Amino acid sequence: MSAITGGASIQGSAERAERLARAWRLWMTAGPGLFWIVVFLLLPSLILLGIGFFSIGNYGNPHLPLSLEPMREVAGYSILGWSPDNLATILRSLLQAISAAGLTILLAYPVVFFIITRPPALRPLLLLFVILPSWTNQVVRTYAWMELLGPGSTLSHLAQGAGLIPPHLGLMPGILAMQIGLTYNYLPYMVVPLYAAAEKLDWSLVEAGRDLYASGRRLFWSAVFPQTIPGLLSGIILVAIPAFGDYVVPTLLGGGKSMMIGSLIASQFLDTPNWPYGAALTIFMLIFTCAGLIVFRVMSKRLGSSEGSMI
Amino acid sequence: MSQNLAPPIRRALLLTSLPVYGLLYAPLALIAVFSFAPAPGSTTAGLHWYNDLLHAPDVLAALRRSLTLALGSSILGTALGTLMGFGLSRFRSRARSGFAAALPSLIIYTPIIMPSLVFGISELIFFNLMHKATGLFAAGLLTMGIAHVTFQAPYVALVVFARMAGLDPNLFEASHDLYANGRQSFLYLTVPVIRPAIIGGFLLAFTLSIDDFTISYFTAGPGSTTLPIYIYSAVARKGISPDINALATLMIATVIGIGLLQYGFTRQKDRQTVPRTGD
Repeated sequence: MSAITGGASIQGSAERAERLARAWRLWMTAGPGLFWIVVFLLLPSLILLGIGFFSIGNYGNPHLPLSLEPMREVAGYSILGWSPDNLATILRSLLQAISAAGLTILLAYPVVFFIITRPPALRPLLLLFVILPSWTNQVVRTYAWMELLGPGSTLSHLAQGAGLIPPHLGLMPGILAMQIGLTYNYLPYMVVPLYAAAEKLDWSLVEAGRDLYASGRRLFWSAVFPQTIPGLLSGIILVAIPAFGDYVVPTLLGGGKSMMIGSLIASQFLDTPNWPYGAALTIFMLIFTCAGLIVFRVMSKRLGSSEGSMI
Repeated sequence: MSQNLAPPIRRALLLTSLPVYGLLYAPLALIAVFSFAPAPGSTTAGLHWYNDLLHAPDVLAALRRSLTLALGSSILGTALGTLMGFGLSRFRSRARSGFAAALPSLIIYTPIIMPSLVFGISELIFFNLMHKATGLFAAGLLTMGIAHVTFQAPYVALVVFARMAGLDPNLFEASHDLYANGRQSFLYLTVPVIRPAIIGGFLLAFTLSIDDFTISYFTAGPGSTTLPIYIYSAVARKGISPDINALATLMIATVIGIGLLQYGFTRQKDRQTVPRTGD
């Protein structure tokens, strides 16, 4: 009797030792990297968020006591009274991000279905060619559009000739240029998740629909499109979120009149410092980002999409 | 199957996607074409602007800084990332679920999903405060390198983790049965087996660093202008110019070359096609 319980406890302690050894090895291998990220990113971002609740000092530095002054400034209140500029900027950024997502969807669907209807050996390469431009520097990519849309460019001359823009002006800077820049920059982010969803497409549903004499349009909307929704939702997140907070595109293509929240935040830390105000804007941006993430997560959970093999 | 779509549909798909491919490459091609523009006062197209670059000390200095930064940060980022990917794949207990088990994943995904502007500004504030408090961490290549490692390590971890997930767990049991200790097993079994993923991860880390603008921009100091920052300030100051075209063309060619190389290195099975803005 005692021998049996003794044996069990030895087994239990061996199990515990094994588990400890495992945990120890986990911390010896993954620990340094995780520690690095916590110290050099999580901690700094918490500090940034905290600064959004400090008073604004004389030189734009954070000051005690804690206050909601930066938040009021985000809402548009300043010593000069209320102005709608900030709300307009936030709204503009939201609209730009949403329409960038919409445009990338329109461009991505034909490309994705073009790729998956080619022979399997060719598909990775065709996908790579969609992704490759995104590996070049974002400044360089955006600069390329300055060249295409600038006042002296062929496209601008065409637009002037058609009377779309006044003579001597270019298609850039402005909202249209910004929209093109964002769509161009984030197109691969829509193509990749959509491709992942479309590649796993269950074509037997299409066959079944065809047997029932469904029209092509009907087949697409009832048999194909629903299967791509999980990919579409990840694509929208991957495009809209970074587009919403983009910094390079609005600064280079947007010009002074069409500020987006990214450039507004950056200028609080670069040009005339106002850290608490900048931090408060960042909090707002993150709230929108998280809200978007949550909405889409709930939607994709409802639609029963699986997670895949992630870390 | 997917291939037996009606020919008109296939044709329509081809006709609608070719312009999209064109749209993706036209701006880059245009830069390349303009980079061969004739020198002022001349009418023959040629390598004039490339020649100018070779004699521009600030461009060469920026290039040197970019390479130093990319090499240094990639080595550390690959080491940390490989250990993370390996450790999480081998030693994380699968039985336990919940917050404690999900925490490492949450930490690893933070640098990847955080908007790069927020990332950069967080670093700016952190290093600024640290510098005021300790006198260390003056903004420059060091702070940029620290920030780069922070976003490189998670990507490398993902690549290595994906490779580890494709391995037979019995492999590790076998090395254990042959009395290899943890370190021996890691050095003589794991590292050779996952070498393609480590090399792929290193190249990914390197291109991520070379490409990065936003995070670098906010962590840079007065004397640490890298190539993307150099281009950005030149563009913000004087708009489009032929010497920037030449520089941009070289960068595009290099990154696409490295991208294709990396594609060749990673095996088909665990190939990770990660689009990135490189900001």
